[in-house]
Amino acid sequence: MINLQLSGDGFVPPSTNDFNLPPIFESIEWLTKPVLLVFLSVILVSLFFVVSARKAAVVPSKLQFAGETVYAFVRNDLARDVIGPEFMRFVPYLFTLFTFVLTNNIFGIVPFLQFPAMSHVAFPYVLAAFSFFVFHYVGIRKQGLLKYLKEIAFMPGVPKPVYILLTPIEIATFFLVRPLTLSLRLFANMFAGHLLLLVFILGGEYMLSDPNLLMKILSPFAFTFGIALTFFEFMVQCLQAYIFTLLTALYIAGALADEH
Amino acid sequence: MARKAEADALWSIVGYMLSGLIFWGGAGYLADKYIFHTEYLTLVGFLLGMGGALYLVWLRFGRE
Repeated sequence: MINLQLSGDGFVPPSTNDFNLPPIFESIEWLTKPVLLVFLSVILVSLFFVVSARKAAVVPSKLQFAGETVYAFVRNDLARDVIGPEFMRFVPYLFTLFTFVLTNNIFGIVPFLQFPAMSHVAFPYVLAAFSFFVFHYVGIRKQGLLKYLKEIAFMPGVPKPVYILLTPIEIATFFLVRPLTLSLRLFANMFAGHLLLLVFILGGEYMLSDPNLLMKILSPFAFTFGIALTFFEFMVQCLQAYIFTLLTALYIAGALADEH
Repeated sequence: MARKAEADALWSIVGYMLSGLIFWGGAGYLADKYIFHTEYLTLVGFLLGMGGALYLVWLRFGRE
């Protein structure tokens, strides 16, 4: 990952190549660091919640309290407030989504792991595809296929000829732009964040190893900025996990509503 | 709750504008390139899409 050349070539700025990590074992091509991190996140999330819920007691232990805080946040603030009376059905999905995305995002700043798997666009695509199927399925089940499509395509209260202009926009919004923006928002934030950290940390390292004394003296500034941006990244990572789950909940709520 | 309604409106507006530009701009571009061989229909498409998107935003969030 660190492609720093110490002499001759000058500073090599981080690029998209830094995201193409080689397989961990030569013979197993698909097992790269992001894949490993995704598996790790699944194990960690499951383990955390199984352990925190196993000895559930009226007076909670610290671990149970931590687990329940996250669960209550997703259930009350995301599911109940947004979806309304039928929210309980969707809590498992939203909860899994939130914790999975959050854990993978935070891996981006955990020492030694330090790679957000969501900066590979395939992962957000798959998650957005899940959300896409969930909210359309829910809408079709609730209202019937034809009525659901009619509600999407025809905004009420418009003179008929205007539908020629509006209907394609509505259909493109629901079936193309929504899943695309959902995944690309997460991907772009994680990608840009990781790149930003690489610039400052690798730049600082380069300055420190430069023979010029002035560069050495100035290198702490780059590192300080890198550390400050790490905290900023933490904020972005939490926010993106929240937004992804919130928008999924909003789409489900929209599909459940009789009128949009 | 108010913040969530705002987030909903915000991303819906972005979504509508993107769809409007993509669909009608794309239609204009294709018409320019393959059907009429003109040079102004892409622009017309973009404007039409933007206008339609703004109208949709008004329909959905502007009227009570």
